[in-house]
Amino acid sequence: MAGHGRTKRWALGAAALLAVMGVAHLAGATNYALWVNGRTGGGQLGNYADFTYWGPASTAAGVNKKSVNWDGYNHISDQNYLVRNALDCYCTGSNWCYVAAHSAGDLMMGYTLAMYGGSTRNVKNATPAADGTCSNAGSSTQTGWNIKWIDIAGGAAGGSELANAGDWALSEPLVSDLKTATARAMYDHNSTRSKWFYMYAGASGTLYSAVLPGQDDEAIAYHSSGGISGTGGQSLCNPADWFCNDLNLGTAANEGGSTKWSYHSVSFRDNNEAYNHYTNGNWAGITSLMRQDMVTNAQ
Amino acid sequence: MNRRRMIAALAATGLLGTGWWLAAGSATPEPAPTTVAMAAPAVAPPGSAPAPAAGLGPRRVRDPAELAAQRALWQQRLQRAREVRDAYAAATRYPPESRPAAEHGDQLHPGRPVQETMPLRMPGAPARDGFQLRSSQDRIYLQGDEAVRLSVAAVDDAGQPLPLAVTRAIAHEAAQGQQRASRYGQVDVSFRDDGQNGDTQAGDGELTLRWQPATQGFAELDGLIRIELSLQSGEQAGYAYFDVIYTPAAPATWLPGAREAVQDGSLNLLLKLQVQQAGRYVISGRVDDANGKPFALVGFNDTLAAGTRELALPVFGKLLRDGQPAFPLTLRDVTGFLLHEDRFPDRALLAAREGKVYTTRAHVLAEFSSAEWQSEERRRYLTEYDKDVAQAEAQLRQLSEPATVAGP
Repeated sequence: MAGHGRTKRWALGAAALLAVMGVAHLAGATNYALWVNGRTGGGQLGNYADFTYWGPASTAAGVNKKSVNWDGYNHISDQNYLVRNALDCYCTGSNWCYVAAHSAGDLMMGYTLAMYGGSTRNVKNATPAADGTCSNAGSSTQTGWNIKWIDIAGGAAGGSELANAGDWALSEPLVSDLKTATARAMYDHNSTRSKWFYMYAGASGTLYSAVLPGQDDEAIAYHSSGGISGTGGQSLCNPADWFCNDLNLGTAANEGGSTKWSYHSVSFRDNNEAYNHYTNGNWAGITSLMRQDMVTNAQ
Repeated sequence: MNRRRMIAALAATGLLGTGWWLAAGSATPEPAPTTVAMAAPAVAPPGSAPAPAAGLGPRRVRDPAELAAQRALWQQRLQRAREVRDAYAAATRYPPESRPAAEHGDQLHPGRPVQETMPLRMPGAPARDGFQLRSSQDRIYLQGDEAVRLSVAAVDDAGQPLPLAVTRAIAHEAAQGQQRASRYGQVDVSFRDDGQNGDTQAGDGELTLRWQPATQGFAELDGLIRIELSLQSGEQAGYAYFDVIYTPAAPATWLPGAREAVQDGSLNLLLKLQVQQAGRYVISGRVDDANGKPFALVGFNDTLAAGTRELALPVFGKLLRDGQPAFPLTLRDVTGFLLHEDRFPDRALLAAREGKVYTTRAHVLAEFSSAEWQSEERRRYLTEYDKDVAQAEAQLRQLSEPATVAGP
């Protein structure tokens, strides 16, 4: 029986140790809300506190919010290191991230996951230097990043007809990435490493309605903001429009049969045509709904 | 402190800590911002009401409306947490390198032309009813001797052909931002409707260009080529452009000797490469069953050193067991590139292996494992997602407990 007692004591000891280790682990674990801008940029590169692109930095936007600024002008591939730096800083080791992205930030995040989502990352210390890089937190590595899910407002991963038609400056490198055929060929949009993209699609656009097919938010048509697979140019609308196929909510195929990219789900369709593309420096437009979701669920 | 007391103290610390965590959620080093520049959401955001009591000690009376809002909030979080966890668990039964074809519907025919329609107009000009431009492009990325096929056609709003003339068409290296002046001149190109050189039918109104950058003065260009067109349909003028991203030399060359091997319960399709340039290679292939039905998208995304290399495109065991494809399987249309970090173009293309690349022998499903994919990454994610679900459930349980009155 003495042996049985020793075993019991060891089991108790191991359980206690595990409990303490668990607490220690949790104490070091932090969640972050990362915000990835779109075209035009504006925030200082590498300064995760600069929310110039979005609006007042005092506005609630999810737990421990960080602004992942890139210039919104050069090619996605040129600027991608800034996003990888941020993900390395805040989304490795015991830290986890929620990501919110707007417009071309959708293309940026999709590209990041499709190209580098399974790459080996050094675990970082979440203490960035001025250039936005963080030091290694030791010698440990991991596969990919710790990203719980991704919110997308006015997503441009499917490109914009405004880039196709020469309405945007053709000398701008990002515009060539946003050509619908190019954006859709850049990477496999279904390869998100099984992370969900929750899509918020606005429809208050009027100015470019002859160029942007179906409903649009004045820059992006539903075929992109709704995460629709296949070629660009598909006309998708709200149910009130009888002469155009409906963009359906969630992951369901749309009226007419077009489908969404895998792991893309339409969270919001702008039935009342109330939300446009632009943040207006005040978390406005379709971004306002994404921010609301981040406040509610990114904690 | 004797050993038994120390163990008890440690356990108590651990349990208290766990209780605190369940009540408090994840650590939040920044003070919670509270300014909300919009209408109140349907459920109250965190910070708008006091957090529910931690379950230790007496609690204040809870306002019923506040309680209902908190319940709604945590119900929503629980729903999201469960949705994300369950979907991730289901999706990652198979590894990222071996996916069902249905999950990648737009990747199954890489050579299929991209066809688009837009108003026929000049940039910035209003669109006119009755004039649409149809275009097609069979590839965006080219390398070496590969050629691109482009076409344009004008149609009315009912899709009926309209006359179209390409009044001018040029190809040139696209100016990009602050880029230096191009050392590649612009060249005239000719779209034709004579049933030759890529044009499918003479006189059908579709004007076609089959164009090979390497023979047109761009053989050494590593960049973006733009083909710009001035168009005229009756009185309506228009503009269109196509972009192709060209890399001159393949970073690796395919070698003969594809083979297959059943390894770790999966069917690996093994291809040989002579790698001239080391780095991260992103390669994908399409697998059809014996009836020609797409079955899987298989891939490779990892680093390769220079030299002769054999890479595996895996058809995962459980994917085979679940999908029960008719054998033999055919690997076709293998495409890939060397990924360059942080530059444009971001890739150096391998020569595309179009059509059938390899046909497997017949297999019986019992040769393959029915086990789900396991990895550190998957365990890490499921542990975290389970934690989020447990946290939301714990919060909802607490919010369902009757409130205790204590003090004024």
